[in-house]
Amino acid sequence: METDPASLLKAYQGQEKAFIERRFPLRFTPEIPVIRELYNQAKGLRWDPTTDIPWARFDPDALADDVREAARLTWSRRAWSTYPGIGENTALLVRLCLESGALGMDAKLFLSFRPAEEAKHLEVCFMLAERLGGYMADPVDIELRELSNHPFAQAALDKELPIEAFVAALGALDDQLELNLATARLQSSRNEVMRQALRLIATDKQRHVMFAWGFLDARLSALAAAEKAIVIDAICELVEEVIFVGYRNACLLPSTIREVWLEADELAAKHGLGASSAEMERRILRVTVAQLRERLAVWGLVLPQFEHTELGII
Amino acid sequence: MLLQKEHAETYVQEHRYPLSLAPEMPSVWDLWQRSKTLEWDPQVDIPWESLNPEQYDPDAILAARRYWSRRTWGEYGAISESPALLLRFNLENRLPDLRFYFTMRTQEEGRHAEASWLMAERLGGYFPQPENPPTAGAVGTHGVRRMAFDPDTSLEGIFAALVCAAEEILIDVFKATLHKATNPAVRRLMQLILRDEVRHIAFGWKCLDAWAPTFTPETVTNIETAVITMIENVEFRGYRNLWLAIEGGDATPEEIDADRASCEAGLGGNTPEDEMKVFPDFVKKIRARMAPWGVELPLFHHPRLGAI
Repeated sequence: METDPASLLKAYQGQEKAFIERRFPLRFTPEIPVIRELYNQAKGLRWDPTTDIPWARFDPDALADDVREAARLTWSRRAWSTYPGIGENTALLVRLCLESGALGMDAKLFLSFRPAEEAKHLEVCFMLAERLGGYMADPVDIELRELSNHPFAQAALDKELPIEAFVAALGALDDQLELNLATARLQSSRNEVMRQALRLIATDKQRHVMFAWGFLDARLSALAAAEKAIVIDAICELVEEVIFVGYRNACLLPSTIREVWLEADELAAKHGLGASSAEMERRILRVTVAQLRERLAVWGLVLPQFEHTELGII
Repeated sequence: MLLQKEHAETYVQEHRYPLSLAPEMPSVWDLWQRSKTLEWDPQVDIPWESLNPEQYDPDAILAARRYWSRRTWGEYGAISESPALLLRFNLENRLPDLRFYFTMRTQEEGRHAEASWLMAERLGGYFPQPENPPTAGAVGTHGVRRMAFDPDTSLEGIFAALVCAAEEILIDVFKATLHKATNPAVRRLMQLILRDEVRHIAFGWKCLDAWAPTFTPETVTNIETAVITMIENVEFRGYRNLWLAIEGGDATPEEIDADRASCEAGLGGNTPEDEMKVFPDFVKKIRARMAPWGVELPLFHHPRLGAI
C-alpha cells in the first residue's frame, strides 16, 4: 500500500536513528583494492547520454508504427525498473556511512558515483522512449505498478537486515541479472544507437556487479551462520517474489497483464531494438541463478533450487 | 526478511507513479547536463608532480596536512549526509530535475573528499581524526541527514541552511583566498572544487527563487530558523573553520592555527583576517538575497567578528 511522504520520511527517520554514527577515526586508506579500482574506473569511464550516443543517426520514422510503439513500451518499462537503483544505492551509501567512519571507504566512494550512473541509464531509457513516440510515465495497471515498486531503499537502511544480505540480493543477483540481460539485448540489437546505449549501460553494470562480488568476498566469510542464513533468505525472497513475477522480464509477468508487454518485447527484439526474446530472457535467468549458486558455494552458502510453473526447476 | 517486512508493511511503499522524467526546471536540468560534461578525476587532473612538499617548512606542511585533513572530514559530511536529501526527493516525488542533478552532486562530493584526502596524504600524511575527537558535535556533523529525514523540517529550510548558507560561505572563502594558494597543485585542486561548488550553490538558489512565490509564513519561518541554526550552531561552533568556534571546543591551538599557517605558506586555507572580511560580507549578501522571499535574518553576534 502506497504511503504519504510524511509517513515515508518518518519511517526512514526511525531507521536512521537506530544507528549511532561513529565518524572518527575517518579512514580513507584503501582496504578492498578491487573496489577502490572500480571507483577509479568509474571516474575514468564517465560518459554522457546526450553526447556519447549518436542520436542524430536515430530515425524512428523509419520504423513501422507498431514496431515503434513496441519499442516505446519496452524502453518506458525499462525506465521504471532502472529508477529504483538511484534510491537503493543512495540508501546503501548512507547506511555504510552510518555504520562506521573507519570502515568501508572504498565502498562509500564507489557508491558516491553509482546513483549518477543509474541516473544516466534512466536518462537513456527516457530519451529513447521519447524519440520512439513518448515516454510513458505510468504503467497505469495497478498490478504492474505494485510489481515494479518495492521499498528496497528502505531495506538498505534497515539495521536488522545484514548489509551483506542486501548486497547479495540486489547486487550479486539483481545487478548480475541486469548485466546478463543487457549483454543479451546488446547482442540481439541491430540498431546502432541502441547498441551504443546498451554497451555504455553494460560497461557500468559490469562494475556494479564486480562491486557486489568484491564486497561480499571481503565480508561473507566473517558472517555467523545465522547471518549467512539471512543472506540466502534474502536472495530466495527476491527470486521467488520479485524476479519470478516479472520485475526484470516481461515474459514472467502474471498472465493477467503480460500480453501487451511481452508482445512489445518480442516485436522490439525481432527488429533489433534493444530487447531480447522471451526464450532468451528465460535462458538468461536460469544462467544467472546457476552462476549465483556456484559462486555462493565458495563461502559455503547453499542456494536451494527454485520451482516456477513455466521455468521449471532452476 | 527483505520481503517479509514489505508484506508486514514495516517497510512502507513510496508513491512512485507517475514517474515523471521530463525536465520541468530548465535551469536545474542545465546543471545536471553541465555536471556530466565537467567531471574530473583527483588522481589525474591535479598536477601532483608540482606539489613538492619537501620545499616547505615542516611547520607549514604540518599545518597544511591538518587543514586538508579537516577539509576531508567536511567533504565526507557531504557524502555521508546530503545523499539523504536525494532520498527525500524520491520519497516526496519531487521534480525529476532535482533528482537527476543531486545524483551528480553526491558524486562530486565524493571526488572532493578523495581529493582533499589525497592532498593531505601527499603533503605528508592525512590525520584520520581531530586530536580530541568529538562524540558528536560541531566538528563531526552539520546535521543535514537528520533534517532531511525530518518531515517537520521543510525542504526549503534545508536548502537555505545547507546550500545558501554553509556552502555559500565555503565558496566565498575559497574565492577570496584562491590567489593565495601559490602551490600549483593546491591551486588547481581549489579551482576544480570551486567549479563544482558553484553549481551546488546555484542549485539551491535557483530552487528557492523558483519556489519563493509559494512560500507560506511557515516556510519563511522555517528558512529563518534553519539558516540561523546553521550559522550559530554550525559555523560559530567551528565546523568549517575552528578559529570561528565561540566556545573553543576541544581543538588544540595548533589545529586552530592550521588554516592560517597553511594559507600563509600558499598551501590552501585562510587567515582570521580573511574570515573577518569574508564572513560579514557573506551574511550581508544572503540577508539581502533572502529578503525578497520575506526572510529576515537577525544580527549575529560573534566575539571576534562583532555584530554582523
